[in-house]
Amino acid sequence: MDDFLELTVSAMASGCIYGLMALAYLIVLRPTSIINFAIGEWAATGAFVGVGMLSTLAWPHFEGPYILAVVAVVVVLGLLGWVVERLTVRPLLRRGAAVTSPILALLGVLVIFRESLTLIYGADPLPSPPPFGFRRIEIGPFAGASQQFFIIAVTLSLFVAVWLFFERTVWGRAFEAVALNRRAAALMGINLGRVTALAFAAGASVAGLAGLLMSPLTSAHYMMGLPLAIQGFTALVIGGVGRVEGALLGGLILAFVEQLGARYLPIPSGLTLAFPFALLILFLLLRPTGLIAPREAR
Amino acid sequence: MRALLWLASIIAASALAFALGGYATDVYRKMLVWIALALSYNFLFGVAGQIAFSQFAFAGVGAYGVVILSYKLGLPFGVALVGAIALCALLAFIVAVPSTRLEGFYLALATLAFAQLFLVVVNEGGELTGGTGGIAGYKLPEVFGIALRGPWYTVVLVLLVALTLHLLLRLERSSFGRACRAIKANPAVAAAMGIDVRRTKVITFTLTSTLAGLAGAAYAYVDNVINPPVFGLDNIFMLLFMIIVGGMGRPAGAIVGAVLLYLAPFVLEPIVGHAYLVLFGVLVVLAILFQPQGLIGLVDRLRPERRA
Repeated sequence: MDDFLELTVSAMASGCIYGLMALAYLIVLRPTSIINFAIGEWAATGAFVGVGMLSTLAWPHFEGPYILAVVAVVVVLGLLGWVVERLTVRPLLRRGAAVTSPILALLGVLVIFRESLTLIYGADPLPSPPPFGFRRIEIGPFAGASQQFFIIAVTLSLFVAVWLFFERTVWGRAFEAVALNRRAAALMGINLGRVTALAFAAGASVAGLAGLLMSPLTSAHYMMGLPLAIQGFTALVIGGVGRVEGALLGGLILAFVEQLGARYLPIPSGLTLAFPFALLILFLLLRPTGLIAPREAR
Repeated sequence: MRALLWLASIIAASALAFALGGYATDVYRKMLVWIALALSYNFLFGVAGQIAFSQFAFAGVGAYGVVILSYKLGLPFGVALVGAIALCALLAFIVAVPSTRLEGFYLALATLAFAQLFLVVVNEGGELTGGTGGIAGYKLPEVFGIALRGPWYTVVLVLLVALTLHLLLRLERSSFGRACRAIKANPAVAAAMGIDVRRTKVITFTLTSTLAGLAGAAYAYVDNVINPPVFGLDNIFMLLFMIIVGGMGRPAGAIVGAVLLYLAPFVLEPIVGHAYLVLFGVLVVLAILFQPQGLIGLVDRLRPERRA
């Protein structure tokens, strides 16, 4: 039972990371219909920007510097996302190119980011210090590494904030309006270009945060992007591409299937790597809209 | 006249095999395999507009299929080859039937999942697939008492490229090719004109994936080594980039892109090291932004009088 509870904490933490990645996809996908595979590399970039900050600023005095690292990741990644949108996506959208064109261009961006990371930081993994050290924490019956609880807390607050943004603010409604009908939204005076730019900036920030949060568990590594990108869209497909809460649900389901399967199913551990892909194929074929359906126009 | 041109090209490409030697032969052979893969991928992606990430997985099925059947299970080579290609066709069909139903980029996700599943299976296949180390130490058996060695195997690869090109050109110029282009341009209109959209998509996917399997089987005897990373995601990105840079939907573009991006690292790596991959990424973004017809489109622009 202890074993199971500990597994729950670890699966929750992984599920939160997957959920954040799914959220990063969703923020871009909803208003633009662009699935941005470069998001995985943006998570890796977030991890490296954070580690760079943490190792240059007087670690281990976590109180000041860690918040600075978080801010740096959000700002730097937001800027990068905005620049990428400006340089690659906007000219294509303006020209009225097919929706596959920006997706393919972003695959080029993915390679640019990954290879630039190896050039700047080298191919060796960089250890990333967790903000609350390597302590073990017990909350009630649940026990786990401090970083795992930190991931869960940050992710849940972020999801609440994003949910409130979409539901309660004018900008959030503008996003939703563009998602439902681009043309009508434009006619209503919503600036499509600005919504797209903001979507890329916010998506990149969220992905960067996911990378920073995860890096203490796995260290920052230039190959961390692609698995995160794949897990992220698997979570997205499971939860449904329409709703913020779906992203988190999908991430959690994916992580629990992965970890419970690896722990309790009597199959070789290598084969458990196949779970996400099997789950992805299953959902694409049986329920391509995901578990939580998008809201209809009201 | 046309037949003569084909014959001359095949003879020239084969003659090159005898002129080269050592490392250059190895480079030349792999380039031929890349061209074969780029040609079939171009038909799927450039002509029919399906973005799939499974091309290298099917090449892997072909390569592993033929080596396992002939070397590990000891079947006669001809049977092993036919078996591997049949397995490719069957698997491609099984993947195609449900996934071509998916709209837009979901096909890419489904085929990416399939490609990753293939890697997991190969990595965990134990004795049969050789796990992460792959399979080595086999060689091409004699067929009807003929052992294809050295430059003669390169000639086989030249013939593979010629066969792939010939088949795809015929197909592209047929009503089937026009149906593919119509579906790419607008599936709803294509369906309204009486084209069976799903059937066309399934046939295209199955055929191009089977051709990838054939190229993979040929690749298996280039170095007489196969291992999982070759069939991974990095190479499928490279294949996609070759088509984009060379020119989407044009066989000549696929060939130009494959030759250029395959050979470029040999020139660039001594100068800029690993940074050539960044250059490839930039090249792809620039191509999509400013030259969607690719390099072959530039050639067209230089000689407008030749355009029909």
